[in-house]
Amino acid sequence: MSFGFPWGLLALGALVPLVAAYFLRRRQKPVVVSALFLWRTPRPRAEAGPRWERFTRESSLLLEALAVVAAALFLADVRLAEPARRHHLVLVVDGSLSMSARGPDGTTVLERARREAAKRVEEAGATHVTVLATGLSPRLLAGPEAEPSKALASLEDFQARGADHDPMPTLLWAQELAGSGRPMAFFTDVAPREGLVLPPSLRWTALGVARDNVGLVSARRRDEGRETTVTLWVARFGGGPASVDLQVRALPGVGAKEGATRVEHVALPEEGTATVRLTFQGAGDVEVSLPDDDLPEDGHVTLPAAGTRPLEVRLAQGLGAPERDALERFLQSTPEVAPGAAGEEREVLLFGPQGTDARVTVGTTGTPRSFVGPFFAEKGHPLLDDVQLSGVRWTAGTNPPGRPLVTAGEAVLVSEEEDGRVHVNVDLSRSNVQRVSAWPVLLANVVRQARRTHEGFTRRQLLLGEPLEVVTEPGARYTLVEPSGRRPVFGAGTVGLPPPAGPGRFVLEREGDAVDTAVVLPLDARESDLRGRGSVDVAAREVDSEDARPHDSDRAWWPLVLLLSALLADFYVTRRGG
Amino acid sequence: MARLAPGLSLALPRVPHRGRVGEVRAASTGSSMELHDFRAYQPGDDLRQLDWNAVARTDELILRVRQDEVSPRVEVVVDASRSMALSERKGACAREVALLVCEVAARQGLSPTLRVAGVRGEQVQGPSCRAALRALEFEARDDLVAALGRMAPPRPCGLRVVVSDFLFEADLAALCARLSRGAAGLFLAQVLDAEDLSPSGGEGARLVDSESGAALEELLTQDVLAAYARRFTEHQRSLRGAALRARGTLLTASAEHPLEALVAGALRPLFVAGGGA
Repeated sequence: MSFGFPWGLLALGALVPLVAAYFLRRRQKPVVVSALFLWRTPRPRAEAGPRWERFTRESSLLLEALAVVAAALFLADVRLAEPARRHHLVLVVDGSLSMSARGPDGTTVLERARREAAKRVEEAGATHVTVLATGLSPRLLAGPEAEPSKALASLEDFQARGADHDPMPTLLWAQELAGSGRPMAFFTDVAPREGLVLPPSLRWTALGVARDNVGLVSARRRDEGRETTVTLWVARFGGGPASVDLQVRALPGVGAKEGATRVEHVALPEEGTATVRLTFQGAGDVEVSLPDDDLPEDGHVTLPAAGTRPLEVRLAQGLGAPERDALERFLQSTPEVAPGAAGEEREVLLFGPQGTDARVTVGTTGTPRSFVGPFFAEKGHPLLDDVQLSGVRWTAGTNPPGRPLVTAGEAVLVSEEEDGRVHVNVDLSRSNVQRVSAWPVLLANVVRQARRTHEGFTRRQLLLGEPLEVVTEPGARYTLVEPSGRRPVFGAGTVGLPPPAGPGRFVLEREGDAVDTAVVLPLDARESDLRGRGSVDVAAREVDSEDARPHDSDRAWWPLVLLLSALLADFYVTRRGG
Repeated sequence: MARLAPGLSLALPRVPHRGRVGEVRAASTGSSMELHDFRAYQPGDDLRQLDWNAVARTDELILRVRQDEVSPRVEVVVDASRSMALSERKGACAREVALLVCEVAARQGLSPTLRVAGVRGEQVQGPSCRAALRALEFEARDDLVAALGRMAPPRPCGLRVVVSDFLFEADLAALCARLSRGAAGLFLAQVLDAEDLSPSGGEGARLVDSESGAALEELLTQDVLAAYARRFTEHQRSLRGAALRARGTLLTASAEHPLEALVAGALRPLFVAGGGA
């Protein structure tokens, strides 16, 4: 059984006053009489027994209830078999953050889209509805071909918090779900850009309003020891206020007795952003808020305290004295680096001499040769970012194994093996490379690479639309806990995940234990810019004519017959009862 | 009541009665001074009753048959069904009529017997009738016919007065025949409430039978009230005809009227002013 118009079932509500009237009539004040037979019209059948009389009222109630049910079924356009007319409508809703912008009446664009979608479903007489949400990854909210009530209910639960994106992949998916020439509706807050080729049966409805806005476009938190540095970028889009009060509230962290609240008066430039940098001691979560405006979502962020995970570094036995001295001087000035314990295999960056299994080998073997250039470096390799070797005298020994990264003539100065081991072929007692900037830069790149292979998120603070990247270890089972649920993470090493559909807190779990946490902030400068929003209704270019109107001819008429029969029977029964 | 009873006597039928020794001519032969008949002597007859003058004239043993002088029984049957308590006035009127009959009978030298046709078939005699009537509860959930079935068979009596509203569906002819059985005279004292005689109309109501509890939804329009009046008249006509066929008299008393008015009006055939048998 299906219903062409399920709202018609609301007519069943008439049963409530019907039953109430029945009981109210039963509670009518009784009048005691000496002889009831003098009031009753004598009837031969009544003489046979009082059973018929006793149930006259109940029979009337049942018949009236049957009439109400039949009326509700008729209004709901009940279909017993599936020859019922199928009318499929595909709705697509923009899932970007700007859909949460308030209009002059205080309603969000998404709320207007919900109302418009419900109206569109009713007008089209849709029996099946599919709802999609656009985003960096298209999402199916209801369906395919769900009941209209369920589809609209899913739309009520939907929140548009996504990043700026191209809706076309979702629209093309919608066209595949709808079928060629079948109606589709897209609800957004911006008109289609010129030259955009839309599906021919798509009706584009923009419900936005152009307005000014002030919002955060980025936020960053950096913790060094007990000191927390919060950097905020505030932008003004359009002719909004020239300045704004920015409130930053630092909750007390571990070991701190009380938090701190600061209000910064930020002058907003006409173009570009204003940068605010604040420092707190012993801060826990930091809450940043701007005064509420038409898009309050981009004015409130919470920067959680990220637990520090220092990289453990160990120097192996056998390193020469110059190499050990140079490495220790570098490590002493490098933040978030801790000496690792001997014998610990996991997550330890081990420096050792040439010919060992250390992650990074420093030193030479064989006959040393000195070079002053020219040095050839593999362009674009992350280990060589900003490494400038001009003016360097580099003394190298026997070529190390692996892929050469820096060479001088036939000598391999730096190489990398398949498993990530790095060999620095340098004799520091005869070179001056440790006295130029290339040395700390090279080692910093090595440490950065080691951090990137550290289990957990490669970045802990992301903006909307930025992809997640996690590092996993082989042999373990990982799960990513999102605001919308949990999903397994497959693969070992550095695993790239698609950008999250919305902001929130993301936790990486290994075998059920939390490993690392990242937060996606609800900030996207392109979504905060509301100046280009507007209202427009672009009709579909072509729609199959049979879908252009609902079909009343398929309506089942037996409920109407049942309704009339019940009313006639009720009339007969009540007449007999009287 | 105390003022009414001394000036009244029951209108006993002019036929011989049965009963204890008294002043009223009995149906049985006896030893009173009043000659009733003559007949031939039969063995076992009292030789003292032989009419020797007739023996001398006819040479046959002629016996004087004399009637007994008895005090005939008066039986008052009160319907104790719930419809008799439809209103306080109706119940009180029924009690008063029954009590007046008992009082007048006692003053008249008759022996009144009160039989209550209720849940239990009670029967009291003589002075206890007043107390029994005072304690009478109209609580039977069925009609007079069913209540009579629970009672002992009626004994012959001189006069039987049945106090009821007679508003029930039954074979009225059979009922009246049953009530008149063994009685020299029968009076059906029908006590009715004003609502029985002329029900008030108005809005719709749920009519509930006072005895069976059966309900009927009805809109009390003028047409419905007229139909009730029509059926009531027909019922009364049937009852009166059945009473006449059983040599009884139907007396319809409205509970609205005081007892003096009823004695002077509706119940006048039952009582004779100034006393006398």
